[in-house]
Amino acid sequence: MQSNMQGQPIQPKNWLVESTLVTIFCCLPFGIAGIVFASQVNTKYQAGDYEGALQASKDAAKWTKIGFWIGLAGLLIYLIAFFFFGVAAIWGSRHF
Amino acid sequence: MKTRFFIPLIWCILVVGILLLYSLFDARYVEWFPRCPFYMLTKLYCPGCGSQRALSALLHGDFFQSIKYNFLAIIVLPFLLYAGVVNGLNLLGKRNVPLHIFYAPAFSWAVLIMVMVFTLVRNIPVYPFNMLAP
Repeated sequence: MQSNMQGQPIQPKNWLVESTLVTIFCCLPFGIAGIVFASQVNTKYQAGDYEGALQASKDAAKWTKIGFWIGLAGLLIYLIAFFFFGVAAIWGSRHF
Repeated sequence: MKTRFFIPLIWCILVVGILLLYSLFDARYVEWFPRCPFYMLTKLYCPGCGSQRALSALLHGDFFQSIKYNFLAIIVLPFLLYAGVVNGLNLLGKRNVPLHIFYAPAFSWAVLIMVMVFTLVRNIPVYPFNMLAP
């Protein structure tokens, strides 16, 4: 663990910005799990529990990334479906 | 050197792309914007429902309508912008100014409570709670 000038370990990245973004723009509850762990990073670090803060940081990263990738996959599936059904609809309306 | 700029570059492309997309096409009226999968499965509004329409409304200058679509998104947007600007300046100036607000326990718990209360309240189908529904 890296330390700051006072000799305390540096506060690990809390992923609060990213998890808030996932909550608001990915339409998935995984972002909320990310915010919970982000809050734990802050609270545990302030309480001097550096190991706990590091673990919470890893969990926050995990849930934020899960939310992001599922959101992205959902978007791709939607676009593919839209493209095929959209194309089928145009084709259908012209020929049937 | 290359990796230092790689992820921020993707962020920049994403942000500019999203701003262009939602200002050129209005999510309030255009059909092909993706629907929320959570809403399709559960018929419940998640904290993100309405954020696309809120963004389009905001980019088209209709502030009050954007609040109606997603109050939470409009509240947290200035904080996210602040984070983006500080991180961008840190990267360009090789500084390391920390995001104090985001690392304050009170702020992060406040965000969590706000998200949960918002999600709960917008799903109560009774006036005045349903004003928060998209």
